[in-house]
Amino acid sequence: MTKSLITIALPKGKLGEEAIALLEKVGLPTINLKTDSRRLLFEYPEEGYRYLICRPTDVPVYVEHGAAALGIVGKDTIEESTADVFELVDLRFGFCKFVVALPLTKAEEITVNGVPELRKLNHKRVATKFPNVAKKYFSSLGMQVEVIKLHGNIELAPRVDLAEMIVDIVSTGKTLKENQLVAVADIFNATARLIANRVNYRMEFQSIDPLVQGLKQIVEEGG
Amino acid sequence: MDIQLSKFQMPVGFKDILPFEAWLRRKLKEGFFQLFNHWGYQEITPPCLEYYEQLRGSSKEEELFKLIEPSGRILALRPDLTTPIARMAATHLKEATLPIRLCYFGNAYRYEGIQVGRQREFEQAGVELLGTPGVGADAEMVALAVESLRLSGLADFQLGIGQVAITHGLLADAGVPVGEIESIKLLMMRKDFVGLEEKLLQLDLPKERGQEIKAIFSLRGGGEILNKITGMAKTETITKAIEDLKEVYSALGVLGLTKHIFFDFSILRDFDYYTGIVFEGYASGFGYPICGGGRYDGLLGKFGWPVPAVGFAIGIDRLVGALPKEEELGLDVLVAGGNLADRLHAASLLRKQGLKVEVEIIERSQREIGEYMLSKNIARLVKVEEAKSND
Repeated sequence: MTKSLITIALPKGKLGEEAIALLEKVGLPTINLKTDSRRLLFEYPEEGYRYLICRPTDVPVYVEHGAAALGIVGKDTIEESTADVFELVDLRFGFCKFVVALPLTKAEEITVNGVPELRKLNHKRVATKFPNVAKKYFSSLGMQVEVIKLHGNIELAPRVDLAEMIVDIVSTGKTLKENQLVAVADIFNATARLIANRVNYRMEFQSIDPLVQGLKQIVEEGG
Repeated sequence: MDIQLSKFQMPVGFKDILPFEAWLRRKLKEGFFQLFNHWGYQEITPPCLEYYEQLRGSSKEEELFKLIEPSGRILALRPDLTTPIARMAATHLKEATLPIRLCYFGNAYRYEGIQVGRQREFEQAGVELLGTPGVGADAEMVALAVESLRLSGLADFQLGIGQVAITHGLLADAGVPVGEIESIKLLMMRKDFVGLEEKLLQLDLPKERGQEIKAIFSLRGGGEILNKITGMAKTETITKAIEDLKEVYSALGVLGLTKHIFFDFSILRDFDYYTGIVFEGYASGFGYPICGGGRYDGLLGKFGWPVPAVGFAIGIDRLVGALPKEEELGLDVLVAGGNLADRLHAASLLRKQGLKVEVEIIERSQREIGEYMLSKNIARLVKVEEAKSND
């Protein structure tokens, strides 16, 4: 019975709420659908959809294994998870940016002629919630760093000398400023994406593709 | 909290296969063996280990399990069976009349993240058709792959077909710079439409070109898609390849197999050795491809015997994961009573009738036997006559 429903994984929180608003626009059932309630599964058998609500970092996991055919989640989370999923649409909300940030004084130390020289941070410690992204970035620069994985409030780490620098996502830059940190390099920009399981996308193409095209159109028209 | 690690740990990515699953695997493999045999394929068994340098070309170095011979040479566990079979065929079968049809059953090893639905040791059943280019061999391979999936008992399955030479050619024709084709193909394999947009922006191609490349990304559908791409082809070799694919499709139509087939030119497969048709089998409700294969015309040449070849492998582990759970298997008869010789004799007669029979080899009470039969799922009890035991 539930097998014929298309399952979509949605992240808890603000990103999830924005995702729901978009799904409503594209004509999917969203009555009573919330990402911040205690309910984790919402089924709309008549319309043929089912939503599961989970932590953002778990969205790629549900999709990679096929427990959900589709998912909506930030590019930051996808990059960090290294999940093998199809990335179908840039939904253009939930904008944030990956940066390398340092305490102000440290940033001045490595700056030569107004340009921060990252190479001077070789073999230093970096605190982050995103160890895969951090490793990949520094290794692309030919650098080695010691990655220290934290689960939140990364900005604390340089202040208590746990690490010389941090890799984190910023949306406004307010948190950095409040902690006397300054971004010295942009890694990449991230927005929310529609992702799909490799097999579901191919097996259920007839029902998934119209949804993909619909979302693409709405996004291109400016949400 | 005090969690004791088990004293007898196993390497990550390896698993013990217990009776029920082992039985299911055996049943599947027996079915495939019969099928492959009826199609003229003979079984061969390559070794598990090969010299590292012979496997290096066809798989990622970091995915190979390596060992060092006492003499210092590096060995690697086979990451698939196709490469060792190519080496084996080029060594032993050069004189044989072509084409050669081979089938195999065995484990392969890849050092990969185990979260991706794959163990590091996994079992494959597959076939290789060596020595023929062209439509006939491609059609046979796809038809046999569909038959295999049908035989395995999957309720709902599909085979997606691509053609790496066509995809490559269309991208080149659309104006993708030679140096960028590989990176575009990588994006294609991941259906990374967002990455493609970024890449196109970066390449700064004319808008029409961009549209054309995007269209190649989304080429998917039934037989009608082949007509569509005919219009996109600009070189003769690609037009010919598309005509060949049409012929394969119409042959499958005659066999009534097209309902299980679709085309998707973003299917490119992970192994680097594919040169023509490629395909992957999917089962509904299971997140990973069940089988995969294609044409690899360059691989045997690396072992000094340049003949074309095509083949596919079924992932037994994935098939087991995708199949509905079956009833635990049981036995037909337990033979008790009388003396041991009588019981053995009675059992052998029953076995000749094709029944699965267990003999009572310890003396147990009626009640204990009843409980035993229940726990082992044995259907019937046959009691040997006490009087006979004095013969």
